[in-house]
Amino acid sequence: MTDPTTEARSMTAAPPAQRLSITGLSKTFGRSRVLTDVALDVRPGEIHALVGQNGSGKSTLAKILNGLHTPDPGASVTIGGVPLALPVRPRDLRTHGMAVVHQNLGLVDDLSVLENMRVGRLTPSRFLRRVRWADERAEASAVFERIGRDVALDARVGTLHEEERATVAIARALQDAATGTGLIVFDESTRALTRRSLEHFFTLLDEIVSTGTSVLMITHRLEEVISGADRVTVLRDGRAVVSGAEVEGMTEPELAGLILGSNLVDLEHRPTSAGVEGTAPLRVDSLTGQSVTDVSFEVRPGEIVGLTGLAGSGYDEVPYLLAGATPAATGRMTTSGLTLGLPGLTPAAAIEHGIALVPEGRERSGLALELTVTENLGFPKTARARKRLRPLDRRAERTLVQDWSERLDVQPRRPRAPVGTLSGGNQQKVFVAKWLATDPDLLLLHEPTQAVDVGARHTIVAAIHEKARAGAFVIVAGSDENELALLCDRVLVFDDGRIRRELTSTPDLTPDAIVAAIYTDGSRARLRGLRKDGSRHEE
Amino acid sequence: MTHTEADAAASGVPGSSAEASAAGNPITRKHRGPVAARYAVIGVWILMIVLFAVLRPETFLTEGTFSSILGSQQALVFLSAALLCTILVGEFVDMSLASNFGLAAILVPVLTVNHGWNVWLAALLAVVVSTVVGVVNGLLVVRVGVNTIVVTLGMGTFLLGIALWSSNLMPVSGLPAGFSAIALTPVLGLPVNFFLGLVLMLGFAYVLEFTPLGRNMRFVGANREVSRLAGLRVPLIRQTAFAAGGLIAGVGGVLAAAATGGFDPSVSHSYLLPMFAATFLGTAILQPGRFNPLGTLVAVYFLATGVLGLQLLGGSSWVSSVFYGGVLVVAVTISTVLNNRSR
Repeated sequence: MTDPTTEARSMTAAPPAQRLSITGLSKTFGRSRVLTDVALDVRPGEIHALVGQNGSGKSTLAKILNGLHTPDPGASVTIGGVPLALPVRPRDLRTHGMAVVHQNLGLVDDLSVLENMRVGRLTPSRFLRRVRWADERAEASAVFERIGRDVALDARVGTLHEEERATVAIARALQDAATGTGLIVFDESTRALTRRSLEHFFTLLDEIVSTGTSVLMITHRLEEVISGADRVTVLRDGRAVVSGAEVEGMTEPELAGLILGSNLVDLEHRPTSAGVEGTAPLRVDSLTGQSVTDVSFEVRPGEIVGLTGLAGSGYDEVPYLLAGATPAATGRMTTSGLTLGLPGLTPAAAIEHGIALVPEGRERSGLALELTVTENLGFPKTARARKRLRPLDRRAERTLVQDWSERLDVQPRRPRAPVGTLSGGNQQKVFVAKWLATDPDLLLLHEPTQAVDVGARHTIVAAIHEKARAGAFVIVAGSDENELALLCDRVLVFDDGRIRRELTSTPDLTPDAIVAAIYTDGSRARLRGLRKDGSRHEE
Repeated sequence: MTHTEADAAASGVPGSSAEASAAGNPITRKHRGPVAARYAVIGVWILMIVLFAVLRPETFLTEGTFSSILGSQQALVFLSAALLCTILVGEFVDMSLASNFGLAAILVPVLTVNHGWNVWLAALLAVVVSTVVGVVNGLLVVRVGVNTIVVTLGMGTFLLGIALWSSNLMPVSGLPAGFSAIALTPVLGLPVNFFLGLVLMLGFAYVLEFTPLGRNMRFVGANREVSRLAGLRVPLIRQTAFAAGGLIAGVGGVLAAAATGGFDPSVSHSYLLPMFAATFLGTAILQPGRFNPLGTLVAVYFLATGVLGLQLLGGSSWVSSVFYGGVLVVAVTISTVLNNRSR
């Protein structure tokens, strides 16, 4: 399965004194081996990307690096040439100037910037053991000065702009490293960043690595690798199939191929559906909620309509309003003779009317992780059973699960396993299947493929396309321009609670055009402006 | 994050042969937890019986021992069932159940003996009062949003006080003899209340395992937002669970009063720890990692066997504290470890 060019790439000669060097890293849980003899090195002053599908072992590796998991014996981890005691002790990381930034930046919204920066590092005074905030403040502002950014130290993190939040997370990770040293590990920290913040994030990283600090970037976004990283390591089934290959010249399809171990079946935009003739379109009229005002639009049967916009523009409220999940102030929905008043609509009534909502965040509002795959897949049905005490039809349930596990290729096929034991991508498949199985006429989705690996994304996109082909109305709210370009026939761009633009024909439905429409004056800059010329990082 | 090899091998790639063989292999029953985990406690129970039988053959291996173990636990069975109602919908600790049970149990003799009520009417009123207490707990927790542990701890103490006041701090006895029939009528050599407990738990297990209602309760307990978006009336289900818990505790209380012909209001809080021990130990039995009625039932009799056996070995009243408390900690630890391992 491994192609020969891969092998060649991994042979790239490494200069001595690596910032981080991992060899022979394995990890076994019970009887299953999650990492097998992984080697990885990060050079001084580079952005090193670590990619792989959900379940390939990326998160386990990150958890070994922050001391949550103990690796199997035989592994060695060195930082700047100094071997690290295993299991990793968080305190050691700090003395070596290494920091791990978690998903969604790992900030506490209720605390101030200063508290977020200094938590765990607060130094008590000598006798009274109280915190000397003046000293802490000086420490924190020194870091911001170093990276040349200014953030109000007393602001609550929850009130900051996303870009500032990213800055705070980076500054916090950087404060233990002297200038020009150190390593920051980002564990899918960028998954929730909007385009603008992402570009800001990489600009900042670019500045930091040019001083000699290193970055290990665990990510799902191929674009971050191709246009953001210097070298890449690809994990597949717990093995490093590519270790430290130069990114220069690599393309996204090539990279996707390495991650999947096979060539990605053409994930091109599907031919625009002609729409199913003879059925009336779905009309949404004067919809008003918390952040959208008097919005009206139409969806033709078989059409996939995308909704997007800046954070706070209201696009992401629409699916919830249409499904009765958040109450609408005004609005009605009309389709072939049936009119549904949206104020007062309950989730139960919406489901009865053939409306299915796949919300964002499967852990919070998608699946009950400790219950089984079968229980989760069958839940929309059992939740609505009229005769609450009549026995469940177990055989029908089994057939349902078998059928949908096959259609969405849920792996492994263990209907009685708690759904939380599946990998993220497979959980998402179960989540989408759960609502597809209700055979809805109107399918509402919010970020259906967020933080999902390429393979699972492909499967889910295909399933949504198929649903549309069968004549359903599909509405997808999302901030990921790549996802929207892949999925949608038409994209509505929101601004300040109203639809401002409509992107219809194919040239408008490229990721670039979508981003351009979201930020009126915006463009989709390369994540790192300058392609490194190789000499810049030599120390 | 938890992965198995099959997970890792299988995520995504259709068509590649090596992975297909690993992934296509259906692992069906296995994942419910290894057999060892499901039956470990039952195994220990049997060992314990053998051990006591060997050490004290003349006292332990008698019919009296077995009927005393099986016939004496209905209070605990009813209380654990009541606790399961709220635990299953995600309300972790209803601390008021034991006192609620005690209030129902003391109201029957107080109204009948001290106030001359008809005993059946008194029993009915006691059950109604307990149910109302459950409803009030539910209103405060579900509708108002007060913290469960605070509400139920306060309510429990309050009810204990009311029970003591109503009986003037004294045990009250002297219920009409005919009333004890609802608890003590012998069936197959055991008092009927053993079978009442059995039917209650079996019925509960049936509802949970085989009906939409049970499934819905588990979902509400596991994730309220998911349940709401699937169209469940989550507040109603939580509210009903509190009411049902009160009802079951009340019925248990009335049966306890009937069995002894009266009640001592100061003993009700001694059921608090055993009922938690049984319910949590139940999660290590039959369906590891899940609260389940049959496991809880087994746990009740496991605990009773242990306490009685240790008493026969010469322990006195301290034995039950040591055993119940120790088992709670050990059982929960073991089931947590087993759960982590099987992931």
